[in-house]
Amino acid sequence: MKIRFRKIDWALIAILFLLLISGVVAIYSASTTRIGQELVTENYYLKQFIWIIISLVLLVFLFQIPSAIIDFLIVPVYLFSLLLLLAVLFLPEVKGAHRWIQLGFLNIQPSEIAKIATILLLAKLLAKPHLTEKQILFRSFPVTLIPVILILMEPDLSTSLVFFVIMFAILAASDLPNFYLLLMFSPLISMITSFNLVLFLICLLLIIILLYKSRLSTITISFVAVINVFIFIITPVLWGQLRPYQQNRILTFIDPLRDPFGAGYQIIQSKIAIGSGRVLGKGFLAGTQKNLKFLPEHHTDFIFSVLGEEFGFLGCLIILILFFLLLYRLSRCVNKLKVSENRFAAVGILSYLSFQIFVNIGMNAGIVPATGIPLPFISYGGSNLIINVLAIGLILKALHERSIFE
Amino acid sequence: MTDQSSKSNILIYTIISLFLILAVSLFNLQIIQGENYQQIAEKNFVRMKKIPSIRGEIYDRNYRPIAINRPSFNLYLSLSKVRDRDELFNFLMTRFGFSHFALEDLFYQNRFRLYQEILLATDIEYQDMIGVSELLSHFPSLSFKTESIRQYLYPNHFTGHVGLINENEYQQLQNQGYNINSFLGKTGLEKYYEDRLRGKNGYEIIQVDATGRNLDFFRHNLHQSPRHGCDLILSIDNDLQYHIEDIFPHQTNGAIVVMEVKTGGILAYVSRPEFDQNIFVNKISPEVWDDLLQDPDKPMLDRIIHGTYPPGSVYKTVIASLGLEKELIDKNTRLAECTGGLHVGNRFFKCWYDKGHGRLSLLDAVKYSCDVYFYDLSLKLSLDDMQIYTENNFLTVKTGVDLIGERKGFFPTQAWYGENYGQYTGIIGPKVNLSIGQGELLVTPLQICAYFNALANEGRWVQPHFLVKQIDQSGSYFNEYDEGQLPLTREHLELIQTALFKAVNESYGTGVAASISYPKIYGKTGSAENHMGELTHAWFAGYAVGEHPEISFVVFLENAGHGGSMAAPLAAQIVRFYAQNRLDVK
Repeated sequence: MKIRFRKIDWALIAILFLLLISGVVAIYSASTTRIGQELVTENYYLKQFIWIIISLVLLVFLFQIPSAIIDFLIVPVYLFSLLLLLAVLFLPEVKGAHRWIQLGFLNIQPSEIAKIATILLLAKLLAKPHLTEKQILFRSFPVTLIPVILILMEPDLSTSLVFFVIMFAILAASDLPNFYLLLMFSPLISMITSFNLVLFLICLLLIIILLYKSRLSTITISFVAVINVFIFIITPVLWGQLRPYQQNRILTFIDPLRDPFGAGYQIIQSKIAIGSGRVLGKGFLAGTQKNLKFLPEHHTDFIFSVLGEEFGFLGCLIILILFFLLLYRLSRCVNKLKVSENRFAAVGILSYLSFQIFVNIGMNAGIVPATGIPLPFISYGGSNLIINVLAIGLILKALHERSIFE
Repeated sequence: MTDQSSKSNILIYTIISLFLILAVSLFNLQIIQGENYQQIAEKNFVRMKKIPSIRGEIYDRNYRPIAINRPSFNLYLSLSKVRDRDELFNFLMTRFGFSHFALEDLFYQNRFRLYQEILLATDIEYQDMIGVSELLSHFPSLSFKTESIRQYLYPNHFTGHVGLINENEYQQLQNQGYNINSFLGKTGLEKYYEDRLRGKNGYEIIQVDATGRNLDFFRHNLHQSPRHGCDLILSIDNDLQYHIEDIFPHQTNGAIVVMEVKTGGILAYVSRPEFDQNIFVNKISPEVWDDLLQDPDKPMLDRIIHGTYPPGSVYKTVIASLGLEKELIDKNTRLAECTGGLHVGNRFFKCWYDKGHGRLSLLDAVKYSCDVYFYDLSLKLSLDDMQIYTENNFLTVKTGVDLIGERKGFFPTQAWYGENYGQYTGIIGPKVNLSIGQGELLVTPLQICAYFNALANEGRWVQPHFLVKQIDQSGSYFNEYDEGQLPLTREHLELIQTALFKAVNESYGTGVAASISYPKIYGKTGSAENHMGELTHAWFAGYAVGEHPEISFVVFLENAGHGGSMAAPLAAQIVRFYAQNRLDVK
């Protein structure tokens, strides 16, 4: 397909570029250490630079492919990604989990591919006209749950959460009445509040009122209430069934400070790093906390702490603004996409990007517990970067085509 | 349409609120609390300290030490605190004998580990440490720590040794709690039982500021005690081990193993020549390493499981058993006449006794170790039956002893000859040779010992092993081992046992040099021709029976001559020592 250069949102491309460059700068700093007067840098920044170039080439390539072919590839790619998720479980552990497929120069994380494939498949399935509510639900749940289960087995709790966020966002964008989302949420709420009867009753009451307002039949509402009471009762029982190490894994996920020698220590050190950066930061390459051995992930999951330490609040704010502009600009455009499939896909992509950015920066700042989610466009990582850039590319491509046919 | 745009507005509002939350929390962290965090960062108030676990020690059956930990002064380097690199290099070169190249290499290897302390040297003499300590203020990058270091109380081939982790191991193991200064088992029991010996490091987090105020980052659990490694109790008996070290002929290479018949526990394990494992615990100098590697006697080779040799006549009982099991012979069957050898086709296969034994029955054939009897028997056997039967006797298969890198030996098959010597090679010749434990057949001394142990143990084969039990903070655990059965009926086994008895205890038996009055020794000699030298390997394998079969043994001496004259007397000395000291073997 011919690219109409004037129809491309160059401001958006520029923002993306600035983010990618900040990433290289941060990685350079994160992997630089000082011996006496000498500075030594590991070559992660060079590798990241090469990945950026590769992902941009792929981006241009993506624009060339007719949409029909992409549409045709969605199901095969989805199935292939499930196969990879299955395969990775049988490969040797890397860093204590079965998350990566090692190909020498590149560590592929199959869940990244599954993420984008799931988004596209959900969008495709839910965009069919005249779907009943049942059909919408019956299509979206299996498509999301199969990869989620495989990812939970890796184990990778945080990435499986991302999939739920995606499904939720796409369902919200679809024709599904909103009370269904409430229905989906209600068991989760009952589960979380199962440790406190009063809290549970308040939440249950709220749910019932909201459902009542959605003009649901009394029978349906009582059914929902019964199910939630059942979940409230069964949760502590199920919890007791888990082995102590499984309970610990979940509790530590919710509250990393429970694990002061692992994740908790990292988050404390990350907070110290960011906090000590103050307004203007300690200056490029002048950070000290990054050098503590506490952060083996400082060029990946904890890259933001390096930015925060060396460039201070001002630097953090600039990164936040860049991210915000990127997401804001894209979400303003979502409306213009008349093809539901493209619109749903765009919502899915934007929701996962927002979620990952929020969770990662939040984790670095110590306000979000979950760990193990890299910062899009900034963190070091080849497959991760390519998927994120291509995801943006998919939205840009949809917008570009819309502008051509207008 | 309005529905759609209101939905996309929800998306936008969500994004706006998420970013506001992040901005506010960063504002709080960096601007409101920034000064506080800056102090914490500068003073390094929150840091994690490792509490190292103590490696388990290794003891003999009577809890006498074999491998222990002792205190050692170790020198560490923090690259981040290096001020003047050249000055430091000079200091380390003159005071500690480092080479410039070694230091360059060390700095390069660890260039990304600025904030970890790197182990430079272990086991520094107290005097040296005192002498250097005064200068340390000038070199803030150097520090001493008192830690423990491994010590092996006598040279041996079973404990193996620990050594400093290398770059490869570190890359593989860093997620399992190893760091760049970790010592880990490199060979032998130290490696085989690494997981049990090492324990688990503990940690402590210090989170107090200069005024002693607890910073309260963590609510609880600031101290995680280390879990110390298990102590291992071996079946080895230090007294017997020392005794065998004493009587082992000087300037001779070889091996002696003694096993406890009932349990299969190894009582003594000597492979000569030996080397001092303690040199590997400290950083080994390249010259010492080269000397060990270049030594033609291969002191680092554990001849008991890493060496494979032709067994010679000690193998004959296997062929005899096969003949009995196949019903080709019985107690009274006499085979071809020994006239100092046997004509097979157009070749003449010699017996070791060139005057000839005449026509012998099984018992005498074993007693005199007549080759012709077995030559003739082999003509009636198929090569592949011999190969399978040998494996069923747990020879040319790994015994599963709890050491690293055991070899399995070799027995050729028909197919193997086809591949290596062409399709139409006659296999009669090789078969005749194999029947007396020569030719391509290779076994380890430990396999032979385990085989004779099984002969003593009513045909019950027990996996040879060292570890009897392990002791840790929560109690002690006994280890269990595999067992098997020799493919031999009780009647035939007793016949073989009688033959072994006659070989030692009747006049003109080949093993008569091993004869003592009590306990009785049963055994078989072997003198295996080999390509390593002019003289044959001397073998003597067997067991001692007091009230019941008690110990089994193998004596193997490389290129030392005849088994009957060289190896058998040693067995007698070992059994006599054992009987006099009554090691409480049950």
